[in-house]
Amino acid sequence: MPTSRLGITAGLLITAASIAVGGCGASTDGSDGGADEPETEGITLYSGRIPAAIGGAVDMYEAEADRDVQVRFADTADLAATLVEEGGASPADVFFAQEPGAIGAVADEGLLAELPTDILDRVPEKFRDPDGRWVGVTARVRVLGYADDIPMSELPDSPLDLTDPTFEGRVGWGPATSTLQQYVTVLRLEQGEEVAREWLEGMVDNGAVDFPDNVSIRDAIASGEIDFGLLNHYYVAQAVAAEGDDYPVEVYFQPDDFGSLILLTGVGVLESSERKQEAFDFVRSLISDEGQEFFTSTSKEYPVATGVRADPSLEVPLSEIPSPGGDLTDVTELQATIELMQETGAL
Amino acid sequence: MATAARRPPTPLLIAGIVIGAAAMLPAGYLLLIVAGELGPALEVAVDPDTLLVVARTLALAAAVTATAIAIALPIAWLTVRTDLPARRLWAALCTLPLVIPSYVGAYLFVAALGPNGLLQDALGVERLPSIYGFTGAWLVLSLFTFPLVLLPVRATLRRIDPQLEDAARAMGRAPLEVFRTVVIPQLWPALAAGGLLVALYVMSDFGAVSIMRFDSFTSEIYIAYKSAFDRTAAAGLGAVLVVLMLVLLWINSRVRNANAVHRLGPGPARPPKPYALGRWRAPALAFCAAVVLIALVLPVGVLVYWSTKGISSGSTSFELVGALATNTLLAASFAALVGGACAVAVALLASRFPGSASRAIERSSHAGYALPGIVVALALVYFATRAFEPIYQTLTLLVFALVVHYLPLGIGAIGSSLAQVPPRVEEAARGLGRGPSQVFATITMPLVRGGILAGTALVFLHAAKELPATLILAPIGFETLATEIWNQTSFGFYEASAIPSLVLLAIAAPPIFFLSERGTVTS
Amino acid sequence: MSVAATTAPLELRGLCKSYGAVRAVNGVDLEVEPGSICALLGPSGCGKTTTLRLIAGLERPDSGEIAIGERTLAGPSVMVAPEKRRIGMVFQDYALFPHLDVAGNVGYGLGRRPDAKRIAHVLDLVGLGGEGGRSVHELSGGQQQRVALARALAPTPELVLLDEPFSNLDAGLRERLRDEVAAILHEAGVTALFVTHDQAEALSIAGTVAVMREGRIEQVGTPEEIYSRPGSRWVAGFLGEIEVVPGEARDGRVSCELGTVATDSGVSGEVDVLVRPESVAIGVSGPQDATEAEVIARRFYGHDQLLELRLASGLTIHSRRFGFPSWHAGDKVRAWIDGPSDVLPREPVSLRSGPAGAA
Repeated sequence: MPTSRLGITAGLLITAASIAVGGCGASTDGSDGGADEPETEGITLYSGRIPAAIGGAVDMYEAEADRDVQVRFADTADLAATLVEEGGASPADVFFAQEPGAIGAVADEGLLAELPTDILDRVPEKFRDPDGRWVGVTARVRVLGYADDIPMSELPDSPLDLTDPTFEGRVGWGPATSTLQQYVTVLRLEQGEEVAREWLEGMVDNGAVDFPDNVSIRDAIASGEIDFGLLNHYYVAQAVAAEGDDYPVEVYFQPDDFGSLILLTGVGVLESSERKQEAFDFVRSLISDEGQEFFTSTSKEYPVATGVRADPSLEVPLSEIPSPGGDLTDVTELQATIELMQETGAL
Repeated sequence: MATAARRPPTPLLIAGIVIGAAAMLPAGYLLLIVAGELGPALEVAVDPDTLLVVARTLALAAAVTATAIAIALPIAWLTVRTDLPARRLWAALCTLPLVIPSYVGAYLFVAALGPNGLLQDALGVERLPSIYGFTGAWLVLSLFTFPLVLLPVRATLRRIDPQLEDAARAMGRAPLEVFRTVVIPQLWPALAAGGLLVALYVMSDFGAVSIMRFDSFTSEIYIAYKSAFDRTAAAGLGAVLVVLMLVLLWINSRVRNANAVHRLGPGPARPPKPYALGRWRAPALAFCAAVVLIALVLPVGVLVYWSTKGISSGSTSFELVGALATNTLLAASFAALVGGACAVAVALLASRFPGSASRAIERSSHAGYALPGIVVALALVYFATRAFEPIYQTLTLLVFALVVHYLPLGIGAIGSSLAQVPPRVEEAARGLGRGPSQVFATITMPLVRGGILAGTALVFLHAAKELPATLILAPIGFETLATEIWNQTSFGFYEASAIPSLVLLAIAAPPIFFLSERGTVTS
Repeated sequence: MSVAATTAPLELRGLCKSYGAVRAVNGVDLEVEPGSICALLGPSGCGKTTTLRLIAGLERPDSGEIAIGERTLAGPSVMVAPEKRRIGMVFQDYALFPHLDVAGNVGYGLGRRPDAKRIAHVLDLVGLGGEGGRSVHELSGGQQQRVALARALAPTPELVLLDEPFSNLDAGLRERLRDEVAAILHEAGVTALFVTHDQAEALSIAGTVAVMREGRIEQVGTPEEIYSRPGSRWVAGFLGEIEVVPGEARDGRVSCELGTVATDSGVSGEVDVLVRPESVAIGVSGPQDATEAEVIARRFYGHDQLLELRLASGLTIHSRRFGFPSWHAGDKVRAWIDGPSDVLPREPVSLRSGPAGAA
């Protein structure tokens, strides 16, 4: 074999061998060990929440329990899909979802374990899975964001009012976000298919501007592109905390028609996990007083655990915000919502 | 004169089959899911709304491809054949937009040109015309993908025989007509190859189109599995995407002249005399400058601006960035090496041993590129957890995913340089007593070295910017610059994302410089 | 020092090759004597290049055999790979390796560490002594062709194949190079087979000419034989201008309008006499069997002139004479055959090939 060919082949074999030995690479979360070093005590977390929003809670747990947490950060829905594909072979022990639909879908596949009673008892019933497979960690409220130069008198009390011609072209929404999809699901379940359909068609006809996510809605209000937006409260709260009180966007907790809808982030333990005790401990840590305080102070979301007080910047207490009955995480309901949104041209 | 198709040597054929099969894993995954629930999947696939979105996306792909060619062709001509000042610099600068990930590019565009963007502030205007929707998506995608056409066209322009053009001029044809009737036909293979890559990229892109608020086909896929958690619908749509890809490939092979540009005259090419631009020099420079300004200076400028704010506000950690850069280099380099080798095998089969097997292998190796990265990732999760457990969530699997996803980029570059090696030269070598593998090593490889390096550089570049598959498949704790950018931008912390973005550009830029300098058959 | 290492002839027996429905080579038999130069001459598409590629091993014959002496290169159960055949090739477009210099090209067939003395010797042989370090891009067409030849000769091949080697050169260069290449091949003592469509080329440098048509060999012979005694009208017409005069044969003699010729072809009855224009003599007076003719037109070439004559019977033929004495239109002359001629049985008018030029 000519030298250069031999050289190339050898080079490739060496490359392949070194890859196969595998797992080399600088670890960026500060913890040691590649994927091939088994951690007998540590746990693996799939987190739809970015490091800035959960890192502190993880660190707290690691320090207290003297255990290592390996975290995979990715989009919540991607992680849910991954868990479903992995099935029982998943290396994950805990799944933290930013939206209830995702964790509901994973639960429906039978992949989540039933949580111990002490965990379930810590969180009010309406903030956890009826079958006990996951609990909420934080709550966020879907509110009406508005430009701060708009007088209070102009603010509609219900999202259903946004189809009025006075709001034409001035409202932004995110049909692709789980935030809005949850709201439509609630409308459907509580007020019927027709109301939901009418509202969707009305919004489309009224020139509601599409945004891919909540952040861009907030930014669009701030820049003046739109005057109103349906988004999650904490995005505005974070911006205010970062930029100061003169940030040009305010939130209004619309009192009617679930204008202020509570949405949960949730955590569950994988049935396939071989470290369930440690995983349950981690969950406990998240819903402990310290854990809940971490979340509310950093991301300005509401704590869900009983007896924990929300961050002072959140003026409206959670108890005053209506939350619907019914299982918002039922995937078939979600699919029906998607279909309706696609039919009406909202999606 | 007809040459009977030769049978490829068995090791090469086996390698090709393995590569083709591996590249088909994502499509196979889709088929498996769809096969499980054929009815619902078909329903989704043939739904009139789906078809509408397909039409819309194809329209975008066509528009972007046409625009990319319209931008790339003049630049290629100006930088290869004329006396434009600082030609090589312009060529390199015009290739650099490729290093900007499309989602970053879209963010930057909105930041620069959108409502309350920097430009609006700078101009002091109340409101700029809207850049969202089809127009915005078209603009952004064209500006960041045209280098995919520029590279092969430049390489081909350097190789074609200028005597043909001289002959046409002598026959009294004006320069523009000569260009149209003599040069363009010889450029078809390069235009077709680059155009195909652009079209497939548009079909599979999600980041840019979602930011520019255009509902493309990939948006449908994302809705199906992200919002409705409906694997079957998502797979059905993905299967439609694979079918579309096959259609595009078929169109491409019809358009492309399979027997590409061999020199017909005797001997190697003489370099052509540069065409004097004269009074066209200023407009030509203006054109190049405009492209570089919009596609490169603007985005990089915004990044630099943000990064200064990010540094001053203390939200950037340089130590972290160093570790991220190392990881990015590692993954991308491995992907480039393996991908380059695989691309050589497939390109060899397709050009030296044409036949139905080689064609099938070449077609199937495009399957991973046309699908969105998340589908590739999920497919490998599926197969790895069931069959290749030990490599699950290791660097090996990530490299495998990157290769599967970006293989066609390597094949295109290597294929076109292989096509430019006259077969007589290899036959001459055979007649002089060297066997096929020796001929390959001593004659073919040196002549296509430039193409191989170009293909490898392209794979490296794209692997460095890749996001969704990296998030899912990389070993835990293995973060790259791309994943860090995602971390920051998903909560709107754009300024903190600027430094990782700039470092990513810095990593990706040298191979690109190299590409535009030396993408020739013989250096 | 002789380059070649063979005393064995090249033999092709019943060679056939088809591409789909097209029979490119349709039963070719040929024998080339060692050390000789043989030309395979024919119009484009006749299968000559395919034959060459079969000999080189670049294509596989459907049937038939190729052998050099005792050694079978291709046959029913044998197919020797091109690199093992020890056959040198010179391609129409030279196919030089662009990434190697002249010495690198020439030495390529000499193995990993080529003998520099051998390279130098061969370069001297082709008249490029000392040019080994030059890049092939810098060379003129003629020089490139010589490098291609040197490259083919360097590994002392048993046979050298040349595919239209001169067709890419301009006219003046072509003639000069023809002679040089022929001289080089002779000096090297190597057997050579070259393919061409140019009959002047074939006739001037080859010792043997094989005329090919539609996949078969029509006629093999020395240049003189082929030219003066074409075996068929087609060959005759392909090799040059030919005049056809009807006549009658009896007992070894043929009488026609241009006089009487002897023939040993054994035909009798109605025949056609094939004669080249240069064998048609004219003069103010001539031998007894000369016929009366009038010069209708004349083309003057300096060293010769081509005259169009109308014979008494009304038949028009051409005569090629030296430049002087000059003839002019309107001259009344006598015309007769003075030179080689060939006799073939008369063919019906529709099949007759008139004074056709070369293909």
